[in-house]
Amino acid sequence: MDPIQLLLFVVALDCIGAIASLFLNGREDIARLISGVTGGVASLVGVFSAGLVLFGGVSQPLIIPGPNPFGSLIFQMDSLSACIVCIICLLSAVTSLFSIPYLKEYSGRGVGTAGFFYNLFIASMILVVTVANAFYFLLFWELMTLTSYFLVIFEQDKEENVKAGYLYMLMAHAGTALIMLAFIIFFINTGSFNFSDFHQAQLSLPTRNLIFLLAFFGFGIKAGIVPFHIWLPRAHPAAPSHVSALLSGVMIKTAIYGIIRVSIDFLGSGSSWWGILVLTFGAISALLGVSYALVERDIKRLLAYSSVENIGIILMGTGVGMIGIATQHPVLGTLGLLAALYHLVNHAFFKGLLFLGSGSIVYRMQTKNMNAMGGLAGRMPWTGLAFLFGVLAVSAIPPFNGFVSEWFTFQAFFTAASSTLLVCKIFAPLFAVVLSITGAFAAMCFIKAYGSTFTGPARSPAAREAQEAPPVMVISMVVLAVIIVALGLGAPVVTPLIGNVAASLSSATQMNTAVGAQVFPLSTAQAVLSPPLMAILLVGLLIIPILIVAILGGSRAGQRRGVDPWTCGYVYTDQMSVSASSFDQPVLSTFRFLFILRVLIKKPLDAIASLSGRITSIILSAEPIIENMVTRPLERAVEYLGEHIRMLQMGDIRIYCLYIILTLAILLIAGIR
Amino acid sequence: MNMSSLVWIGLFQALLVLLAAPLFSGFSRVLRAKMHSRRGPSIFQNYRDLSKLVRRQEVISDQAGWIFRITPYLVMAAMLLTAMIIPMITVQSPFGMVGDMIAVIYLFALPRFFISLSGLESGSTFGGIGARREMLVSVLVEPIILLALFVMALLAGTTNLGDITTKVASGGIPYYSAVWLGMLAFAFAAFIEMGKLPFDLSEAEQELQEGPLSEYSGRSLAILKWGIYLKQVVIVSLFLAVFLPFGSMASLSLPGLILAIFVFLLKATLFYFLVALFENTMARVQFLKVSTVTWVALGAAMLSFVFYLSSF
Repeated sequence: MDPIQLLLFVVALDCIGAIASLFLNGREDIARLISGVTGGVASLVGVFSAGLVLFGGVSQPLIIPGPNPFGSLIFQMDSLSACIVCIICLLSAVTSLFSIPYLKEYSGRGVGTAGFFYNLFIASMILVVTVANAFYFLLFWELMTLTSYFLVIFEQDKEENVKAGYLYMLMAHAGTALIMLAFIIFFINTGSFNFSDFHQAQLSLPTRNLIFLLAFFGFGIKAGIVPFHIWLPRAHPAAPSHVSALLSGVMIKTAIYGIIRVSIDFLGSGSSWWGILVLTFGAISALLGVSYALVERDIKRLLAYSSVENIGIILMGTGVGMIGIATQHPVLGTLGLLAALYHLVNHAFFKGLLFLGSGSIVYRMQTKNMNAMGGLAGRMPWTGLAFLFGVLAVSAIPPFNGFVSEWFTFQAFFTAASSTLLVCKIFAPLFAVVLSITGAFAAMCFIKAYGSTFTGPARSPAAREAQEAPPVMVISMVVLAVIIVALGLGAPVVTPLIGNVAASLSSATQMNTAVGAQVFPLSTAQAVLSPPLMAILLVGLLIIPILIVAILGGSRAGQRRGVDPWTCGYVYTDQMSVSASSFDQPVLSTFRFLFILRVLIKKPLDAIASLSGRITSIILSAEPIIENMVTRPLERAVEYLGEHIRMLQMGDIRIYCLYIILTLAILLIAGIR
Repeated sequence: MNMSSLVWIGLFQALLVLLAAPLFSGFSRVLRAKMHSRRGPSIFQNYRDLSKLVRRQEVISDQAGWIFRITPYLVMAAMLLTAMIIPMITVQSPFGMVGDMIAVIYLFALPRFFISLSGLESGSTFGGIGARREMLVSVLVEPIILLALFVMALLAGTTNLGDITTKVASGGIPYYSAVWLGMLAFAFAAFIEMGKLPFDLSEAEQELQEGPLSEYSGRSLAILKWGIYLKQVVIVSLFLAVFLPFGSMASLSLPGLILAIFVFLLKATLFYFLVALFENTMARVQFLKVSTVTWVALGAAMLSFVFYLSSF
């Protein structure tokens, strides 16, 4: 079976799951199970199908002829699509598993509906990255927006969520409008909506620039780049956590896919200022995203802001790659895209894990406020351990996967800086500095996130009584933790796979990125890194301190537990520990300038929010008018009709018989004529 | 040099700095006392402290979990690994196959991460405050280290530490304004990383680096203290490897080895001496003013980059 046919089977399975779950809305336990199991199984098949392409299989495009003027429905899976499909499916397989017990939290609030939108959401993401016709792309893109919108406003009883959903809807459609314009310009110039024709389009330079700008900002809104990120930290946390994991983990990646598809695949990266623009927006998003994450005390919003940061890092790699391709440096192009795609894959899994972890916490705690948590590692040990793996990865601590992809990003900057391009020579090292500041901020941010939720004293009764999450939820988090470790330690295996995808985009010949247990940025003379060796040595070297203790006779000394922390002789109280909001205080005062944009953005944001209020009030004030002019007369007419029809019903069986005979007679006469 | 001798040299380097680290810290304690006109402790006092601490009973707070327990061991392991990668007595990186300059910078982040986390985990006020201070300093110092090293890597055309050291040692990179400024910036960053003044008072418990240590006792405290001494020597040796690698051996020979060890210890001693001079003649700065001081160092690193650009 061709991989693409297999993938359509996956989509069909998702749809079946969606519909079954919708019809079982009344039987919530079964609906939960059905939606989770079909979603999970479908996604596993999807992983297999994408794997076929990634490991060198060829996939023929599948063409379903359409009756409309927009062209046929074409599906195609090249290595870029396969890469994204692979992470969509792998992550959604785990979140589906997680959702089975997790949705119990929402019982009585339409779990079946959630399953319906959830499965459709997965299907739409798969369709978006495999379809090869602009019209259907927009159709599926819209489906993805709509299904995710309904998942964002799933908890409608909270007004905050409805507002977040509204903002999301508004921003997403602004983005869609720009993308649509970009595709229409393509259509005007090529007379076709097929991606294959876009690919060969002969366009003038201004047209190409215009298309790039439209597509970059259109997709950029969906990706959540600063300053269009405002919807993201509101909408992502509002959804149920397994959906947040998908929103932050993979949905925003479809926007990155769009940027790469249009600006690199269709337009061949154009001029070098495209890459610089992408790079600049990436750097700003990374730095501001992480600084906003740092001062957040809602755990899910912290994670959402960190997604803005990671999108920034991915775009930084993409930007370097685009500069490389535009200036005929395939090595630089491949390296930049390799870094970007590697980070894209990594972020999907560690952010997925962190959102599932936060979901488990919220499941037990019923609050997202980190100031009310604390000490959960003792009561939820497995959740804590899995969360720690995610934290280590997102903070780029070696030898975890986040470090490996940031290392490649640094190498891309280094290659750019040592190239002959003046603009790269000047800016690449400065962007490397921005990346290092971002990394340090991220570490601080996630030390705070882990430290204030899982360690220290419990700061609320709920935290004191929290229990470990249900086994299925724990298993799904552990699976993601294992994937994270594999992506880090397995870098020598993973890098060539992603390198092939990057090389196919930069039209470079196959390039070496790994030998033995080492990875390198296309040449060992520039740099080498061996995450597995590093891990082995780190663990192995633990023997030395243990030996020191043993030789100096430390094991005989024993230990005493169960004492309060030292407080200069005063009695210890739980308030003495450092909470989430006091942890970030020095940053707020030192880096005040980073938070200026926040203040600037607040105004238009409030305007949008008040616009939402105004529209609601217009609709509300319109209601009586409609009621008086349409509903009331209609109501009266129905009432009047009812009164008169009642006269026919006399309750006498003989009259009814008469009706039947009369009807028969009329039918007979009609039949004869 | 072949692979197996490099591996042995790497292990030897780790052992060398492990054993020498308390001595260097003792040396700076003695210097400090002398400059205060005190008699001060013996230069070997740190060894006595450590061996006594190991044999003391360990008291662990209620809140502390396994991160708190494992941190001292991880800090030492990470610093030993870094000591094996950095070229100290050779111009090659003994464990260069593990990672390059960027990996080394991130390996410095690993102990910092766990020390801060254990500070929070202990539930102690001092631990938490120390943790957040440590992280703020890292945000300010990491870019300086990165940019200074990045310029050197650009001059050498590689980020592999061994290759950079070889190039500098063999005169492939001339000492000129960019290198001098980078050296200045990195030395300043190393000065802060070592937990010296102006932001830190290494003998007061509630301060920067010692803050997260306040809940440690017994053997954990001994290992953690040792790890921090080790970190100080390792950052000094990174400085020496990149900016002043003369005296390191280029090919394996016994006299070369002995000379290289001697020269390395001498250079490190000199660096510690200069640091002590600075440390004891500077006033302390309020912690929130740290950024005003570090901007100067970042400025020096930037200038170094500008000089690098303008010379090509």
